[in-house]
Amino acid sequence: MPPDVPTTGNERLDKVTGRAVFASDITVPGMAHGRILRSPLPHAKIVKMDCTAALALEGVVAILSGEDLADLAQPYWGLYFNDRPVIAHEKVRYVGEPVALVVAETPAVAQAALDRIDIDYTPLPFIDNAGDAIAPDAPRLHGNLEAIADFYFKGQARPVSGTNIYQLYAISTGDTAAAEAEAARVFEHTYTFPGIAHYAMEPHCVTAAFEGDRLTVWSGAQSPTAVQKVLSRVFGLAYANVQVIVPHIGGGFGGKASVKIDPLVAAASWKAGRPVRVALTQEEAMLTCRRLGASITLTTAVDANGIILSKRAAILLDGGAYADTGPAVTVKAANRVIGPYAIKNLEIESRAAYTNTVPGSAFRSIGGPQAVWATESQMDEIAAALEIDPVDFRHRNLLPRGGKVLDSLRPLDADISEMMGHAGQAITSMGDRPAAGVAVAATDPGVLPLGGALVRLLADGSVLVMANSADIGQGVRDVLRNVAAKTLNQDPAAIRVAGPDTATTPFDWGTGASRSTVIIGLAVEDAAQDAREQLLALAASALEIPLDGVQLVPGGVATGSETIPFDRLFHTAFGIDSGEIVGRAMVTPSRKGSDFATSPLFWETAVGACDIALDEDTGALAVTRFAGVADIGHAINPAGAEGQEEGAAIQGLGHALYEHLAFIDGQPVNATPIGYRIPAAGDVPHAARTVLIENADGPGPMGAKGMGEGGLLPVAPAIANALARRYGIRLRDLPMTPEKIWRALRERDSDVP
Amino acid sequence: MTASLDLTFTLNGDAKTARVAPNTLLIDFLREACQLRGTKRSCDMQICGACTVLVDDRPVSSCTTLAADIDGAVVTTIEGLGGPDGLDPVQQAFLDHNALQCGFCTPGFILSVKALLHANPAPSHEEIVEHLNGNLCRCTGYHKIIDAVESLVRP
Ligand code: FES
Ligand code: FES
Repeated sequence: MPPDVPTTGNERLDKVTGRAVFASDITVPGMAHGRILRSPLPHAKIVKMDCTAALALEGVVAILSGEDLADLAQPYWGLYFNDRPVIAHEKVRYVGEPVALVVAETPAVAQAALDRIDIDYTPLPFIDNAGDAIAPDAPRLHGNLEAIADFYFKGQARPVSGTNIYQLYAISTGDTAAAEAEAARVFEHTYTFPGIAHYAMEPHCVTAAFEGDRLTVWSGAQSPTAVQKVLSRVFGLAYANVQVIVPHIGGGFGGKASVKIDPLVAAASWKAGRPVRVALTQEEAMLTCRRLGASITLTTAVDANGIILSKRAAILLDGGAYADTGPAVTVKAANRVIGPYAIKNLEIESRAAYTNTVPGSAFRSIGGPQAVWATESQMDEIAAALEIDPVDFRHRNLLPRGGKVLDSLRPLDADISEMMGHAGQAITSMGDRPAAGVAVAATDPGVLPLGGALVRLLADGSVLVMANSADIGQGVRDVLRNVAAKTLNQDPAAIRVAGPDTATTPFDWGTGASRSTVIIGLAVEDAAQDAREQLLALAASALEIPLDGVQLVPGGVATGSETIPFDRLFHTAFGIDSGEIVGRAMVTPSRKGSDFATSPLFWETAVGACDIALDEDTGALAVTRFAGVADIGHAINPAGAEGQEEGAAIQGLGHALYEHLAFIDGQPVNATPIGYRIPAAGDVPHAARTVLIENADGPGPMGAKGMGEGGLLPVAPAIANALARRYGIRLRDLPMTPEKIWRALRERDSDVP
Repeated sequence: MTASLDLTFTLNGDAKTARVAPNTLLIDFLREACQLRGTKRSCDMQICGACTVLVDDRPVSSCTTLAADIDGAVVTTIEGLGGPDGLDPVQQAFLDHNALQCGFCTPGFILSVKALLHANPAPSHEEIVEHLNGNLCRCTGYHKIIDAVESLVRP
């Protein structure tokens, strides 16, 4: 077998030469352009909409509005509730909600027409934060909605009837009251976490074309089959008549997962009778979805030896105007707030509520950063209060490999203690001082083991791997190529990874939850194995030799001394030098040889350690050294794996220091590229190191585990812990801006007697 | 729209003429009229550098530049780098150092680095980082991009 190959994919060549076709590069003959009129109010009734003047503008083709919804098969859609209209219908629920979509010959005409739409609103009372949303007399955004079961994620949401709470999830083990009664100390702290913009560099772009009862959509979608499913419901079309094609995607991070603007753009094409392209601006992307903000109160009881006896958590998430995948975020935040610690008594209540703000949705490690921010900050607060070294305090409470975070979950498949050791070493290898702040995380990816692949070996020896796994930059195509190359013993350069295209490629659940390497990796491995067996059988029968006398070699089959290229083999077998072998596979929850019965299929673990420098006069903080450690089982695409960890850490740096999608009176105040700051090159730590632990103990091909999310998790708490340790200030509210740091320093100094 | 303007310029090594409306943005002119889609639109307000092209070897945000302003100039887009003999060294360095993930920011970064090395063939580490501050990438975390540029300056 060839060794792990360095990445040589053509997609990468296409990206450095500008040839790569992204979602926003798609053009379709006859295409018109859509621009969206958005609500200026957080909550209001639409009392009048007059499009006459806009329609009269030369070049305007059609205008889609709430009035058109009556003609759709299912005008409201969603993943857990059908709570979202394709376009605002009778009322608006957040600033930025689409209320009209103008289709015109050019984007400029469409934009000009927006000003000519005459709308009157009657404002309604609104709520712009989760605390207000759960108040007894809070205005309600939605009526009582029926939860849809097993639609996108397994299970269903449990809303609290008569309230804005769309998901309530609780975990209870042991007896926290008894544990607290016998504890030496009980600590209670509240940590807050803001809404955060995905800020993929390519804003959402969808081109949709209706032809009779056939709908084709080109979308930068992470979950093409989810888009297909929702579109089929909205328009009453057979799945087979909805084709979703995914070009290159300019970043996703969850912001292009599940379904976003696809139903809106498809409806515009349906109304206009023309292919329609809608390319959002970056501001509009920031009004489309965001990470859920959170407030988390932790009550943790410890004994005199620094052993955690119990933990209570009250998690409240700001879900925004539509639930999207927020119910799953709510569950994961609860599971992820526990941490990789042995805690017998747990009482966790996690709730998400509708608010009149941008809809919350999946974002790299759903619920993880919020939960880990709280838990890992408090670990250090408790250690400091008990005068125990924070690393030592963690050691006293860590689960060993094989330990159980919850009885219902798979035992931990990583050694966090060893990972902390690696992080500490990596920090001291980059400078003298030991790490100032450390944080750890163990998260349970919600991996649905359902996805297929085809591996087609063509007569000239080239191979087409067909999978619906979207490459959002994480390098999944390289992973799939390497898996197929190994299994078929072919040169990776001979392998092309095609798709996603729901019309030609087998079902896959989607790209998210760190699942593609494991699930689609296995599907490709199984499909390649199927192709391999077919090829060997074909060779044995065509060449009239025993099955064990043939083997695959690059470009053909070998029989002892002779190598027969594939085209000659096909010629001998089929009479002409054409034809192909089609290997196929579908990974399902009952896949042979896999244990997919227990969740998670693998743990995503992370340790981060850092040192910082602070200008105490201004509060400006710089991370001088950062080390990230992840246990990923096996790196099938080593460069890609390292890049994922580094990129996740810098997103975590943004979460820690800069990012906060802010609302005042329901108005987004910084949802623009000028107002919202993501990390730039000058912000990254001067010295950084990534350590990947590979024990080939994962469920994926060659022992790989999923990865790519964990690196984000420890960054914010590690920095906060460093601030506390080195500078004596404790911040519990993200982001840790210079102003908050400066104020905390002043407060510290004024506390000195 | 009022009168059009006639432009004479060099695009990726070829002499060109074109007629444009005075308010046409350079990014739209390149992407639509010239069908050069390697130039990417992200922030659309001169924050992110995704739309960077070279005008007379200087980096320019094409999202906030009028096409009219390239009259008489030499314009280079990502499609103009490299040639039949292979990639431009900057493109090769980005590949070799895995300095890209989704790749949407990549053309802008590569052209921005071209401009830096044209103006200053031996920038210090600090000068590299300072220069790259004008381009945003949400995927890579920048280390591998900085490494790629370092490899060209201090092989
Ligand atoms: S798109 Fe021009 S600078 Fe961002
Ligand atoms: S590689 Fe995705 S934005 Fe830079």
